Amino acid sequence: MTDDKSLPSGFEQFADLAARWARPTEGERSQIRWAASKQDFADFYAAFMPKLDEALALLADQSLEGLSGPTANLFELVCAFAEATPHHELYGGSAEVPFSFSARRFVPAHRDRPSASPVLR
Amino acid sequence: MNAEDPTLSHIGRSIAEIRAELGVDPVSVEAIRDPAVYELEREKIFRRAWLKVATAWEIPEIGDYKVKEMPVADTSVLIVRGKDDKIRAFHNVCTHRGNKVVPNGDFESFGRSRAGVVTCRFHGWVFGTDGPLRSVPMEEGFGKIDKSCLGLREIACDTWEGFVFINFADPPEQSLLDYLGDFAKLFGGYPYAESTTIFRYSTVLECNWKVAHQAFSEGYHVPTIHAGSLPGFRGVEHSDFKLMGPHASSTIYGAGMDTAASTAAFAGVLHGAEPHRPRPDQLPPGINPTRRTDFQFELPNLFPNLIIHLSAGCGYPGMSFFTHQFWPLDHGRTLWEGINYFRPARNAAERVAQLHVNALHRNAWLEDTATMEDTFTGIRSGAIDQMYLMDQEFLIRHAVRVHDDFLAA
Repeated sequence: MTDDKSLPSGFEQFADLAARWARPTEGERSQIRWAASKQDFADFYAAFMPKLDEALALLADQSLEGLSGPTANLFELVCAFAEATPHHELYGGSAEVPFSFSARRFVPAHRDRPSASPVLR
Repeated sequence: MNAEDPTLSHIGRSIAEIRAELGVDPVSVEAIRDPAVYELEREKIFRRAWLKVATAWEIPEIGDYKVKEMPVADTSVLIVRGKDDKIRAFHNVCTHRGNKVVPNGDFESFGRSRAGVVTCRFHGWVFGTDGPLRSVPMEEGFGKIDKSCLGLREIACDTWEGFVFINFADPPEQSLLDYLGDFAKLFGGYPYAESTTIFRYSTVLECNWKVAHQAFSEGYHVPTIHAGSLPGFRGVEHSDFKLMGPHASSTIYGAGMDTAASTAAFAGVLHGAEPHRPRPDQLPPGINPTRRTDFQFELPNLFPNLIIHLSAGCGYPGMSFFTHQFWPLDHGRTLWEGINYFRPARNAAERVAQLHVNALHRNAWLEDTATMEDTFTGIRSGAIDQMYLMDQEFLIRHAVRVHDDFLAA
């Protein structure tokens, strides 16, 4: 992935969000999420939730193997959104799951690249 | 309970029958607290029972292997698909001087031998992926050596529905199928191998393995522990209790929860897709036999340390099933492994929807695991000598009984 976080036509207004949130791996996205504030989650949610269905419709036409450029950036942004929404909708803006075990001790052992083959080997 | 399969009718139990069979008295926590019990467990449970260590689809090609560290048996295990396509298990130990043949840096790792051999990096002894010692550098320097006796030390290994089990006993007291017994009939037939997309998490918990196992063995905790991640969860119901020798199971039904707006959007992607939609029709006939629409998942304990929650997409959106396993590292340390299984996403939208569902479930697991170290500390304190178990915690009561039977054998 490059630093270029340009997005497909119709999603250009989310360039700042993509620069902040879009990352290819669960581990990288978790680091950003753990550092986010209640306001960060609220802003992300308020901005992108109205466009979620449109983004999902666009991604439904994209194979995982063929993701590149602006479409891959949008995919990474929606991945981050998918993991961030519970913190706004369920956890009152907390970056931690309330009353939980430390997420930092939870090791994702699956292949940590959502755009790669999802099959663990 | 299972009109379609009369051969399984004997495993069903009402609550009254469960109470009559397993009792209602409190259960001692001494087996959790006493380090000496752990030493017995290693010998009498983990060296006797069949243990799931892999899935066939993790090592789909000839030469694929998995290395799994198993401190409970003081060994490292090599599970490998040989040239004859058969999956075998070996101690990952060079028969020269005991070095690991395949070095690894984690509790489990994967690789592939294209040439059908694995080579010890210490002195270059070469073993076939089917076990025999193929070659020894400077063999003449040993004076006398019989390579035919120096193959990798094999561990009993068999497969059920694509789940690979091993048994350290030589020979095992029962075949895998006999050990699984009615469990294999109850859970057999679901297309597990289609769900090759996995999200696996692990963590080392500072608690006895049974504390972790028991915490995941009941649904009584759902309205409290999961008030954050499963808000408004209504009417969780544990029913269809089943006893199957050393194994037991029950069904979790529930009227669902308050669905957040983003979850509704992501779930819509999965529920509208043929590979990911709820498939109650694919459940084996003994599970949710009346095809209730509020079926969430089946919750079995496969003794000693495996739970397979079969949901067929009916519980968490798109999820076929998920598993927990609890591996003792020592008396007070446990490797927990949780794995979510989905069918492969056909496009990027399905994939990101799976990520959302996985995140919700991972967060629920974070809530689950929050209790375990505290529970172990509490039990070690000596403040309580018994635990009081209600009907929905019968899997714990049953597992304790089987545990005691194994130790007494």
